[in-house]
Amino acid sequence: MTAGRLVSRTSLYAFALLVCVVTAFPVLWMVATSLKTPSEALQSPPVWIPGSPTLEAYGQVGEVIDVGRSFLNSALIATLTTAGILVTSLLAGYVFAKYRFRGRDALFALLIATMFLPPIVTLIPLFRIVGQLGIDGSLAGVIVPNLANAFGIFLMRQFIAGVPDELIEAARLDGASELRIVFSIVAPVVLPALAALALFAFVYHWNSYLWPLTVLQGNEDHAPIVLSLARLLTYTGSAQNTPIVMAGATLAVLPPLLLFVVLQRFFVNTMARTGLSG
Amino acid sequence: MRVARQPLWTAAFLAPSVALIGVFVLVPIGLTLWLSLHEWSTATPFGEASWVGLDNFKALFEGAIVGRDFRQSWRNTFVYAGLSIALILPLSVVLGIIIQRSAIRGRTVLRTVLFATYTIPMIAVAIVWSKLYSPSEGPINEALGWFGIAPQPWLSDTSTALVSLVFLNVWQQLGYFTVLVVAGLTQIPPSVFEAAALDGARTLKLHAYVTIPLLRRTLLFCVVIALINAIQVFEPVVAITQGGPVGSTNVLTYHIRQVGIERSQGGLASAMAVMLLLSLMVVVTLVFALARRAENR
Repeated sequence: MTAGRLVSRTSLYAFALLVCVVTAFPVLWMVATSLKTPSEALQSPPVWIPGSPTLEAYGQVGEVIDVGRSFLNSALIATLTTAGILVTSLLAGYVFAKYRFRGRDALFALLIATMFLPPIVTLIPLFRIVGQLGIDGSLAGVIVPNLANAFGIFLMRQFIAGVPDELIEAARLDGASELRIVFSIVAPVVLPALAALALFAFVYHWNSYLWPLTVLQGNEDHAPIVLSLARLLTYTGSAQNTPIVMAGATLAVLPPLLLFVVLQRFFVNTMARTGLSG
Repeated sequence: MRVARQPLWTAAFLAPSVALIGVFVLVPIGLTLWLSLHEWSTATPFGEASWVGLDNFKALFEGAIVGRDFRQSWRNTFVYAGLSIALILPLSVVLGIIIQRSAIRGRTVLRTVLFATYTIPMIAVAIVWSKLYSPSEGPINEALGWFGIAPQPWLSDTSTALVSLVFLNVWQQLGYFTVLVVAGLTQIPPSVFEAAALDGARTLKLHAYVTIPLLRRTLLFCVVIALINAIQVFEPVVAITQGGPVGSTNVLTYHIRQVGIERSQGGLASAMAVMLLLSLMVVVTLVFALARRAENR
């Protein structure tokens, strides 16, 4: 190895390491601060590693917000929305991939165009529509408008297009109904894509903020953890309460982050595929 | 494909998606356009809206506070989006190339760490960064001090607040775009790189003249998605800065929601939403036109 190559390799490693450190630092800082005592959180220059780590802040989170209730709300919102998206995307994706009918491509284009729409463009009339349906301020109001989306339909069409027609024809000859074909022939073949879609949808709707904030109108009983977290921040403004806020943030971050760590290959592969076909 | 039982199944299978997207996305787009021409309080039924023609749009272009606030939030949004793209694009290309093409060990660790930030709720990102930026107890100013750099005001000064939000956006989104670049790189046949290397192309030149031109489609997609993501910036503003100091972080998603939901001026806010949509369409068209020109050259 020449001296020049050694230098370039070393600087490559240094750069990669720097990126890793900068990227991981805020998360590590969050966890470290959640373990600090109030006086440590106040110190300047800052305490990098808590001297006597304590879980006290985690207990205090529950004095400000209802952690269990918030988690339950988040879980309900994310799970039910995801289930809806899976069913609607599978059905519509199957039709767009395997059926021919007049106006198909135009309808598909119209639905897909909504994928690129910033949510704020429709927020105000949507808020009113949901109000007139009588489901504002409730979990149903958070969930129902999101039960179908263009991304899911697009993803399912891409993957179902790769399912051999012969497989579907054979099932038809056996007298299977179309509904049966979708759920017991097509779905198992595209299971990896369904799993990836489920992960995307779950993480997205666990994290989503603008719509729940708007539709719930301060109804704390139905607030997901992300909204409760903002409330926690408001109620614990001073710096000595920072460990409480960080403890709350750590709790809120855990479910999507753990899900990602366990299933990251699904995530990354599907992400890559959607990027390419976009 | 046989067509026998199709029409019924087509309708039945499409009905849930079409009905949901129709009622909760397409109809609201139409209503936003319609409401932008009306004076309407968000607290009342749509029937209460009264026709005002283009008055809402005129207000956005006039000198009064309504127009000034809107134009400031419009500017802030596109500055934020532009800076975000300017940082994300080159960094994701460099990191994508390192992950996909270099021989260094621990590349998958780098990818995992980078991408993990994308799964963290933005509200948590905003809260954590607001503490990192803290002028006195914050670790960022402390670390800058080690290199002899003076403490920065970050979120508390009009000149630095918006850029501070850009940094946390880049931090959260970089991994996602790096994965997209990696995906684009896997589509380039390895023989291209081998041929270029045989020609004696040095690494930097190779990537500048071979890799990046071949990544054009991926990069175009990245710009459009980064733009649309950036326009949605909301949580750090609503939870941390409330648009301040002095409106310097007032961005469109926050501003339109303030006007349309908090102040119930639904017609005016709809006109702002229409302007946002038009601006977005113009910018995306320009980006595509530029990309096509680059391709033809």
